[in-house]
Amino acid sequence: MEILSQFINSYFLWRDPMIVGAFTGAICGFLGVYVVLRRIIFVSATLTQISSFGVALSFYLEGIGLAIFSSLVGPFAISLILTVIAAAFYALKRDFSHISREGLIAFGFLLASGGVIILGDRITKGAHDISTILFGSAVVVDPVDVYLIPGVAILAFVIHLIYYKDFIFVSFDTESAKLFKYPVRGLNTLLLITVALVVAVSTRALGALPVFALLALPPLSSLYLTEKFKLLFVFSVVIGILSAVLGYFFSFILSIPTGASITVCASIIFILSAGWRQIRFSS
Amino acid sequence: MTELIKLENVAIGYEQGPFVDFINLSIEKNQFWGVLGPNGSGKTTLLKTILNLISPVSGTVFFHNELVFGYVPQNEKFDPIFPICVCEMVSMGRYSRVKPGRRLSKKDNEIVERSIESVGISHLKDRTFRSLSGGEKQRTLLARAIAGEPNILVLDEPTASVDIKGEAQIMELVRNIQTESKLAVLMVSHFLKTVSEFSDHLILIDKDSNTFLSGAKIDVLQKESLDRFFGLNLNLN
Repeated sequence: MEILSQFINSYFLWRDPMIVGAFTGAICGFLGVYVVLRRIIFVSATLTQISSFGVALSFYLEGIGLAIFSSLVGPFAISLILTVIAAAFYALKRDFSHISREGLIAFGFLLASGGVIILGDRITKGAHDISTILFGSAVVVDPVDVYLIPGVAILAFVIHLIYYKDFIFVSFDTESAKLFKYPVRGLNTLLLITVALVVAVSTRALGALPVFALLALPPLSSLYLTEKFKLLFVFSVVIGILSAVLGYFFSFILSIPTGASITVCASIIFILSAGWRQIRFSS
Repeated sequence: MTELIKLENVAIGYEQGPFVDFINLSIEKNQFWGVLGPNGSGKTTLLKTILNLISPVSGTVFFHNELVFGYVPQNEKFDPIFPICVCEMVSMGRYSRVKPGRRLSKKDNEIVERSIESVGISHLKDRTFRSLSGGEKQRTLLARAIAGEPNILVLDEPTASVDIKGEAQIMELVRNIQTESKLAVLMVSHFLKTVSEFSDHLILIDKDSNTFLSGAKIDVLQKESLDRFFGLNLNLN
């Protein structure tokens, strides 16, 4: 009880990170439904890693005296450009010189991961920053993110509201979508670009690990909880918010890294959902 | 003009080597075409060329200005991870008439409801597609195809995953839909009996022997052509 009142009294410390976390959880939960249903979970892992590489690259440029370039473009812009290019590439390319898309996803992930570690070693700001990018150990967030992340989340949500039926159609039945002259490539690219946009802004604020967790685990949990397609989105959004909020709460009261705390909370909800499904179908 | 689709000297397959060439075919309103061929004979490639999903290697495919396809793919092609219900599935058939970024109107939803009723699956409309039996899935896909108010119905192995009773019911349903809506039908099947019973025109295709026969059923179903096509000594009754 004492811990809870201490937590409530410190609201000025956690208010901003909580807002950012809740919006990230909501939009990642929503977009994650497509990621999971289209079986491209590892595209999202690669995008978060490429986004991390973008942030590390901007730190590196700042460190080697290209601060003007870095401040002109900004860490978010470098990360966004790289992530959007990668998303467009994965949306448009099914294979590349006889290598499957799965192979390309692994290549992107490994190259970005290696790049982050190499750049991390060279960044003057120190290893702590790289750890923050990758695992999201920051309890505080940049004041800009309090507006930027909800703004991007709302923009992505509006795009998905307009193209809801079309994104589902091209994800579920590409062949019929082509038959009905739907712009399949355009819609697939737009869908992945909204994912890239959200990944780019939220990776900088929360870190690659929790963003990947929020994209994958809430929709997977929802698949255990409902058989209704529309409810899948609702449950996933709610679980995304819950994972982020509980993650921040436990991070605050137990003094554990925030990103890891969010990931574990989302994982526990996943296990509980799987258990609930098991009980429901065995009874 | 009653011609809906016309293929002139079409070759299908890949650039490196077409499977079958010199295909000439004209599909008209109210005709029921059956496409027969063994596994890997090029049936699906022909179907996708007719659906304009892949381009022919050479030759020309003409489509009627107002051509709207109603397509019944094989039901195994849908990923069961999607918890799409019957009503949502049938609604997708209506997307042929609703542009991207637009929603289904009240009228569209009424047509979807009518399509569901017409194939006798109103009681299943809230069930997920993945939980249905083979026959129920085929009925759902038929409802989806007619929801777009097509002038040609294209069916890819519609009785592949149903039992004999289910097969007869599905085929009766297809025939009723064709008669009532005055549609052209193009149906791919492995089964000579099913195809010969319901269709009035036939296509025999086999890429291994570069065989393409098409025409009225009575002309195509000749002992010599069937013996040559199936490599068997058939007894036709």
